[in-house]
Amino acid sequence: MAVLEQWRGVKAIPDIEYFASGHRTCQGCESVLVMRYIAKAAGPRTIVTGTTGCMYVANTSYYSTPWTIPWMHSQLGAAGSSAMGTAAGLKALMRKGKIKDEPINVIAFCGDGGGADMGLSAISAALTHEDYNLLMVLYDNESYANTDIQLSGSTPWGAVTTFSPAGTKHRIMHRRWKKNTPGLLAAGHSGQSKFIGTACASYGLDFMNKVRRALSAGGPTFLHTLDPCPKGWHYDPELSHEIGSLAVETGIWPLYEVNEGKLSFTGPTRNILLGRAKRKPVREYLAKQGRFAHFTDEDYDYFQRKVDDMWEHWMIPGVVAFEMDPRDASLLQK
Amino acid sequence: MASTAVEVIYRGIFQKTLAGTLVKTLVLAAHREGKIGTAMSRYGDSPERNGIPAKQFAVIADSQDELEESLAKYEPKATDVSICLDDNMCKGIESWSWYGVQPINALVKPGGLLIVTSLRTPDLLLRHIHWRDQPYRIAIVKAEASLGGLWVYRDDHTDMRLLGAVARLAPQVVGLDALVQSLHEKGLADQPYAGDTEGDARAWAPRQAAGQQPIPVGQTKLESMQQAYEAATDRPVAPGEGVEGNRLTFEKPGWKDMRIGVVVDAPKPGVDASIEVFKKWSTRTKRPVVNFDTCIECDLCWLHCPDECFVPTPEGVYDVKYESCCGCGVCEEVCPVDRCIVMVDEIEFTDLESPYQKWKRGEPLVAPASGGGAKYGAAAADGNTGNAEDRG
Amino acid sequence: MAVAKTSKTAANVPQSQEELISGSEAVAQALRLADVDVISAYPIRPYDTVMQYVSKLIADGRLDCEFIVAESEHSQFEIVKHACSVGARAFCGSSGVGWMYAMECLAVTPSLRLPYLAICGNRALDDPGAFGTEHNDAMCVRDLGWMLYWVETAQEALDMTLIGYRAAEDQRLSLPCALCLDGAFLTHSAQIVSVPPQDLVNSYLPRFDLGDRVLHPDNPISIAPQANEDWLMEIRKQMDAAMRRAPEVIREAHGEFHRAFGRQGGSPFIEEYMTDDAETVLVGMGTMASPVRVMVRKLRAQGEKVGFVRVKWFRPFGTDEIRTSLQRFKAVGVVDRDFSLGAADMGGVLYNDVRATMYDAQRRPVISGFIAGLGGREIEEKDVLEMFRRTQQAGADGRGGEVTWIGVRE
Repeated sequence: MAVLEQWRGVKAIPDIEYFASGHRTCQGCESVLVMRYIAKAAGPRTIVTGTTGCMYVANTSYYSTPWTIPWMHSQLGAAGSSAMGTAAGLKALMRKGKIKDEPINVIAFCGDGGGADMGLSAISAALTHEDYNLLMVLYDNESYANTDIQLSGSTPWGAVTTFSPAGTKHRIMHRRWKKNTPGLLAAGHSGQSKFIGTACASYGLDFMNKVRRALSAGGPTFLHTLDPCPKGWHYDPELSHEIGSLAVETGIWPLYEVNEGKLSFTGPTRNILLGRAKRKPVREYLAKQGRFAHFTDEDYDYFQRKVDDMWEHWMIPGVVAFEMDPRDASLLQK
Repeated sequence: MASTAVEVIYRGIFQKTLAGTLVKTLVLAAHREGKIGTAMSRYGDSPERNGIPAKQFAVIADSQDELEESLAKYEPKATDVSICLDDNMCKGIESWSWYGVQPINALVKPGGLLIVTSLRTPDLLLRHIHWRDQPYRIAIVKAEASLGGLWVYRDDHTDMRLLGAVARLAPQVVGLDALVQSLHEKGLADQPYAGDTEGDARAWAPRQAAGQQPIPVGQTKLESMQQAYEAATDRPVAPGEGVEGNRLTFEKPGWKDMRIGVVVDAPKPGVDASIEVFKKWSTRTKRPVVNFDTCIECDLCWLHCPDECFVPTPEGVYDVKYESCCGCGVCEEVCPVDRCIVMVDEIEFTDLESPYQKWKRGEPLVAPASGGGAKYGAAAADGNTGNAEDRG
Repeated sequence: MAVAKTSKTAANVPQSQEELISGSEAVAQALRLADVDVISAYPIRPYDTVMQYVSKLIADGRLDCEFIVAESEHSQFEIVKHACSVGARAFCGSSGVGWMYAMECLAVTPSLRLPYLAICGNRALDDPGAFGTEHNDAMCVRDLGWMLYWVETAQEALDMTLIGYRAAEDQRLSLPCALCLDGAFLTHSAQIVSVPPQDLVNSYLPRFDLGDRVLHPDNPISIAPQANEDWLMEIRKQMDAAMRRAPEVIREAHGEFHRAFGRQGGSPFIEEYMTDDAETVLVGMGTMASPVRVMVRKLRAQGEKVGFVRVKWFRPFGTDEIRTSLQRFKAVGVVDRDFSLGAADMGGVLYNDVRATMYDAQRRPVISGFIAGLGGREIEEKDVLEMFRRTQQAGADGRGGEVTWIGVRE
């Protein structure tokens, strides 16, 4: 595997781009920034596979491609399997002397539909294959955005999507709480994977350094990013960066990584945990987005309580969504 | 006439509801006149991208057989009326899903009508619109690019005003009476205007300066439509009038020349890595204008631009690669220096030249708004004076 | 399995070994000889016997490849597709509903022109949880650009694995290839198979080379950007052009194989049995050939002019060979081990392909259709006899077009 040093400060980030401009995404698309960051952080000795979704359809429109590094489409639920196939092919060919033996990064990306819904089993499987060096990046814009914003298992509670409109009988159509995908993978696979973490493109340096840490860790790794989506979240495109920051500052999207079995929080999340910053009210984040425009005070309160739970009651704040039964906890202390 | 067609050219997602209302109302109203029609969106624009040009159509015919000539097609071959909902698109239409620029008037029939919602004059718009070899007409409905019906944006009656103009200037599509009847049937006729922005007076100042009559709060949709009908005028556009513009076309290779296995060559990496065959010439709503003199080289615009518009220079400031920009405004938002980056309407410009090179040569970066009212005058007043139009 | 005997060759020439192995093990042996790089497995009966042999070969150090036990057939086929894209020779397989679970990945592979080999251990599409052979699983990819071959014997399974790689990987085709093995009859019964020596295989099967389409940092390309209506028809036409070239490439691959190994001569597309003076023939694919040939011999002993035509490559369809062959006969009965409910005359897939082929023949035989052996039911001699009798009667009446289900309880 490659060993990529950390970039200390924005000025240390190289100017060279491996994801070319001229793609076809929406105004203010944060997911495309994720693609750019991945390519920049990984560098030229990399192969990327991408599942169906916005970052496939809107980026790589036939006869052109923004990828200066080798890239290939994979099926919607195939981030894990495409990464495994690519890594296994390279490994076999290198071992058998059919191609030069050298470090080549393998990165597979998927959206929340492809990753947290359909492709979860393949991602989970890939994370058990310790022999293969690969990174899976789940870019989470909280809906099936390419197909016109249908709800996914990653859509937040109450959000309006084209499958969950606010109606006259049902104001809240989407009544499921967002799936805690990075938490469940971290809890289940940290014994096999040396890097499982979260990121947000509003914190570009943190983001790219996480990609570099993951690729340097070796074995199968996973990064889950939260990407504000002006089309699906209903806000002015110029606010993309700010909304990403608010997701972190309100505690809704904690930034963390589990590196070789050790959990650490990063960025503003770390400051919140250390008491250096206070979590902002979730309303500051939600009220900026049209998809929550139908929220009443009661809805905001419910959302706030659920986020408070994440921080106050979860065994590990923002990561592990349960706590010890107090009786067992006291037994363990003895 | 056997059949008529109307296209609505709009900003994807942002104006989708408005475009849909227009084409559906036209088809339903024409049905009141005993005609039959279809409303459709261009499938190639689906899924729509935020702010990227898209189209919807109304095709209306005297009979089902005549309508059939327009069915199972992506877009009509010619239109009686083309409606453009954002005058920045007068430079041409670039769909996200195909290559090249389609002139805004490309489908307008000889003698047909192009309606633009704009606070600018026809003469100014014609300094961006491609010339045609056939005569046609242009009409302006005085309005800013409307977001009415989007998310929480309130109705601004743009739809009604456009329908009134169509009925007056292209009665072969649909007459006013049928539209009125249709509004009544839908229960929309008496819906009052509630004011479309917070702090109405401030919002109206530039509109009034550009000649738009304020809509009184309480005015009904019907009244808005009728007023627009009364006020509508057009201006003939002679063959050859307009600009050469960018007529980017793309020769599609045949199957024998395409690489097998759906393989395409990668672009070269670099500080300004670009896809050669796909550039943005007219997609932008606005473009960032950078005051290089006040730039503190914090790198944030470069770091956060989703479109990789900002290209490093030896000075440490970032040049702007407009051909990559779709005008989101994130750079303006993350820039910590007041008014260092200002988003300016795309139609204020006629070229994609490097602003860094202009700055090096001591040339102004932005033109004073010649037709756009006070809204962007402020940007120009900051010292970036000069007239992009005059250089075009 | 135990070595039966060694074939007679000069002392310094590498020798073939004769072994008593099943069709599945024969495929595994061929994979070893083909030096396959990546194999992905997931269990489903009956194909997975191949993977059991493969894993044993790996465990014993006889095959050096990445062996990934996937968590679903979908992943299985995506894994090999992507392994193939970086230049690895890859192998995969499935059966019945497992094949269907991988359908999305199977469907996209031909347009990507990634030539890996798969086996489809033909199995009924449960419900109700049937394991027996039926050809509908593999038939589902027949229109998509997969090359399909129906194997009859374990020897053929080994030979066709090598021929399949050679034809599929030929730069003129670069299409995926599936060998179809009737479940149970081929996957679970052993026959004497001649296993060729490595050197001979090396001289027949060149190293896999994707050329300038290999995904590698030294060759920066993008594969399969999203295409709209401006492009897809051209992409499909390229696939069509490749499939049109396939018969020629297949003939070469068989011819070379015959020269090197002394087997698989004759037409790659059909195999005729006792047809020289035949008036009535049955047409079918796969292991049904055995009971049909038995009955042909019995009827011949009674002086009846009957024969059998086995269809081998199903995609590409041996149009010329089949047309030239069948127009010699008075009556033809096509036996489908599949169903195509609601199709023309309610016939099976092979039946209607044969009928379409014969429409432009100089002389059209009377063609009857049969659905037989579904869900792995044995096609018995009495069934074959009934099919011959019905075909002969249709010929005598001069009226075809009837499709009969054979061996089904009323």
